Amino acid sequence: MAFRALTKGLFGLRHSRGVTVKYSCDGHFATAASIQSPQPQTDDVKEKILQLPLKSPDYFRVSELFSLKDLFNARVHLGHKQGCRHRLMEPYLYGCRLDQDIIDLDQTMEHLQLALNFTAHIAYRGGVILFVSRRRQFCHLVETTAKECGEYAHTRYWQGGLLTNANIQYSPGVRLPDLIVFLSTLNNVFQQHVALRDAAKMNIPTVGVVDSNCNPSLVTYPIPGNDDTPVAVELYCRLFKMTINRAKDKRRQMELLHGLFTPTPSSS
Amino acid sequence: MAGSRLERVGTVFSRVRDLMCSGVMKPADKPIWFDVYEAFPPKKEPLYVKTKTRTFVNKQSNVPAIFYAEDKVRAWFYEHYGTGSRSFDLSNSNFVSVCQRFVLKYSELKSHSELEDSALYEMTAKALLSEGITLKQRARHPVESIEPVF
Repeated sequence: MAFRALTKGLFGLRHSRGVTVKYSCDGHFATAASIQSPQPQTDDVKEKILQLPLKSPDYFRVSELFSLKDLFNARVHLGHKQGCRHRLMEPYLYGCRLDQDIIDLDQTMEHLQLALNFTAHIAYRGGVILFVSRRRQFCHLVETTAKECGEYAHTRYWQGGLLTNANIQYSPGVRLPDLIVFLSTLNNVFQQHVALRDAAKMNIPTVGVVDSNCNPSLVTYPIPGNDDTPVAVELYCRLFKMTINRAKDKRRQMELLHGLFTPTPSSS
Repeated sequence: MAGSRLERVGTVFSRVRDLMCSGVMKPADKPIWFDVYEAFPPKKEPLYVKTKTRTFVNKQSNVPAIFYAEDKVRAWFYEHYGTGSRSFDLSNSNFVSVCQRFVLKYSELKSHSELEDSALYEMTAKALLSEGITLKQRARHPVESIEPVF
């Protein structure tokens, strides 16, 4: 009960920032000129801060944080037995060694880089990130990871209407997470976690570690890898924590940098 | 606020993009992740895939079995010597087991000499014995027929 009150308070704390937006429809770019702010320079600077990282492919250099050797040593390539294999995971598997599925680490590297990059950008823009895992073995680890990043975690029983009925379960106008990170996409009875489907319903992108017995279809940025071994889960938690902290530090840096230049009309 | 709860139709991105194009979702309500997804889309679109309820009885899996050339030697080793004299030390990542030493010695001898397999196996066993590793031959019991007791 106390936990729910805490999350309610934490959700309410973050306030959304007004930002000038550009969106494309059928290839045309249209700038929303209707937002008139008293300080057009601040908005321009804010827009520049937000658009600059999108130009480079790895602005936060997340690919430096891990290597294939690290993934191998953390036993990320070990999947479940052949009988547990999910049909949709077959493209991500390297092969089957004596009935145990081996996940293709080359593919995992690419997916992990995409996923960490996405997480970094969301954290940079001040998005709310929710870590979800229903594995009791790692529940404490996930909660401490979330605490150390300054983000949120939900590793307990998922009540039905947490996302879909948030306006009634919490309060009207509550801010929902902008990204949900699954350290394990299954719940305790080896079925797909309800949060995955609910996030898709509420148009929230998801990043998730999918093992060889998981369904990767609804996960926006799947990371094929082992979700059972403690070494592997510790690696994922460490990587997510480092990316989020890096992104937030970068944001603070950019704001300070541009905060110094806002008074002068000729901003860099 | 506008939303679309149809998780089985299109992807998260396509739904939000279409909501904004049609004007149902205002530009001010654009989600934070929209630009990021546009700039860095995932490798495969997260479309909902319906799982087939009726599957093939004889399923053809596209996942190849992983076998190496040394597995033949390993198979021979485990058949003749059982599990080996030393247990595996899993905490050490550079650990070389008895079987692996056998395989390494075998491949070394094979590159030097032109003998056939069975002779090579015996040579390897002798070579390992000289290095100090004793290999106990596993006694292979013939299948005993159980006489019915009336």
